[in-house]
Amino acid sequence: MQYLVSVIDDTAGVATPAEMAAIDAFNDRLVAEGHWVFAGGLESQSTATVIDNRRGAGLITDGPFLESKEHLAGFWIIEAPDLDVALKLAADGSLACHRKVEVRPFSAEPA
Amino acid sequence: MVASLTRRFGDLDIAEEATAEAFAAAVARWPADGIPPNPGAWLTTTAKRTAIDRIRRESKRDDKQKEAQLLYDGDPPEPLGAIDDERLRLIFTCCHPALAMETRVALTLRMIGGLTVPEIARAFLVQETTMEKRITRAKAKIKAARIPYRMPAEEDLPARVSGVLAVLFLVFNEGYLATGQASDPVRSDLTAEAIRLARLIRALMPQDGEAAGLLALMLLIEARRTARVSASGELVTLGDQDRGAWDAALIAEGHGLVRERLAAGMAPGPYQILAAINAVHTSVRDVRDTDWSQVVALYDQLVRLDASPVVALNRAIAIAELDGPEVGLTAIDRLDDKLAGYHAYHAARADLLRRLGRSQQSREAYDKAIELAGNTAETAYLTRRRNQLR
Repeated sequence: MQYLVSVIDDTAGVATPAEMAAIDAFNDRLVAEGHWVFAGGLESQSTATVIDNRRGAGLITDGPFLESKEHLAGFWIIEAPDLDVALKLAADGSLACHRKVEVRPFSAEPA
Repeated sequence: MVASLTRRFGDLDIAEEATAEAFAAAVARWPADGIPPNPGAWLTTTAKRTAIDRIRRESKRDDKQKEAQLLYDGDPPEPLGAIDDERLRLIFTCCHPALAMETRVALTLRMIGGLTVPEIARAFLVQETTMEKRITRAKAKIKAARIPYRMPAEEDLPARVSGVLAVLFLVFNEGYLATGQASDPVRSDLTAEAIRLARLIRALMPQDGEAAGLLALMLLIEARRTARVSASGELVTLGDQDRGAWDAALIAEGHGLVRERLAAGMAPGPYQILAAINAVHTSVRDVRDTDWSQVVALYDQLVRLDASPVVALNRAIAIAELDGPEVGLTAIDRLDDKLAGYHAYHAARADLLRRLGRSQQSREAYDKAIELAGNTAETAYLTRRRNQLR
């Protein structure tokens, strides 16, 4: 089962070299233990663009969907059999990137 | 299955509810954990358990005798086996750290305690719809996020057991607070329910020191319940209680558990220490015979494990008994910035100031305590003490 592990940042900064090293080591571990699906860091909030095409007008707005102090800075997608495993991995991820993380299950695909 | 349960319990409502619960539980857990080896037996056992719990609760309310029975260890100890494994798994799932405390409490009372949703809602003074949603969402989260239905791993056990015990203590305290006012019977049932669940945990984990400690603590506190509130609904402090009104059987049982943990020779956790403190208090007929140096020594141990200001306050109160009010007051005053909003802090100060003859300052402290106290029994007591100042 897959979980989204979102990295929540409340600073404007990027990962320090020490944090990058820890994240790399953590990622290697995820791959080695078969939990890795995907991961990536995001550029800052200000680089985002919102498109609202609900009514076919394709409205474009500069900036993030929600300007907030605590925002998404990156994420992992991991494969884990249950929440206990996912939480243990996410705890290590939180320690490595020195940020709070949110663990959320992907919806099960309809049979 | 409903039929066989109805045959056994003679109550269709109970049988239907129990069956529905069993199936709901199965639906929630089996996808995550796999189907148990004998699904039919699992369902029947789970349903029977729920039914038995429900009947116990129903009959308890009709019969005062039965109510008393729930407090005492009336049932023979259940042999550990597959059924107990199920119950342990259920408890740990309901108390999973990924669930908010209030959710853990609600789920535990519903799934293990057998309380109905309206009963739990009344006990915690929330709307029924709110409680219903809380439980529904919890079950949905357990399923969607795959909270596993199993015993925690060995290395996780201490933290997870501590989580379960915290839930039970919360339930106990909720019931304990209710006795100070005109209480809904459901609320005062909570202490009995907490004790019953604590007994269950103890029976399922007989080696766990903190489980024994929590049960001992609950028993020793519950033993003093009737002595703690006067006929006029006023709080009666430990020193003034009619010790003849204490429940000797509960005290004996609590003392037995404390002795057992002492003999185990392992470093005690907080519940065991609190139980030991209560054991010291309940081992003498006259408050003047209290071994305060023992109490202080125990608080010294507790403070090392629990650095919270409330523990420091209780330790300072014990120091005042041992070394005099002047020393106690000095210790208490150090906690001012942390406990300024806590009524018991001001009440303790007020009492010590009174003993030191500083009546004006004592009066001010009582006023502060009365202003902050939420419980009518306590307010009545504090008001009387303040009015006695010269």
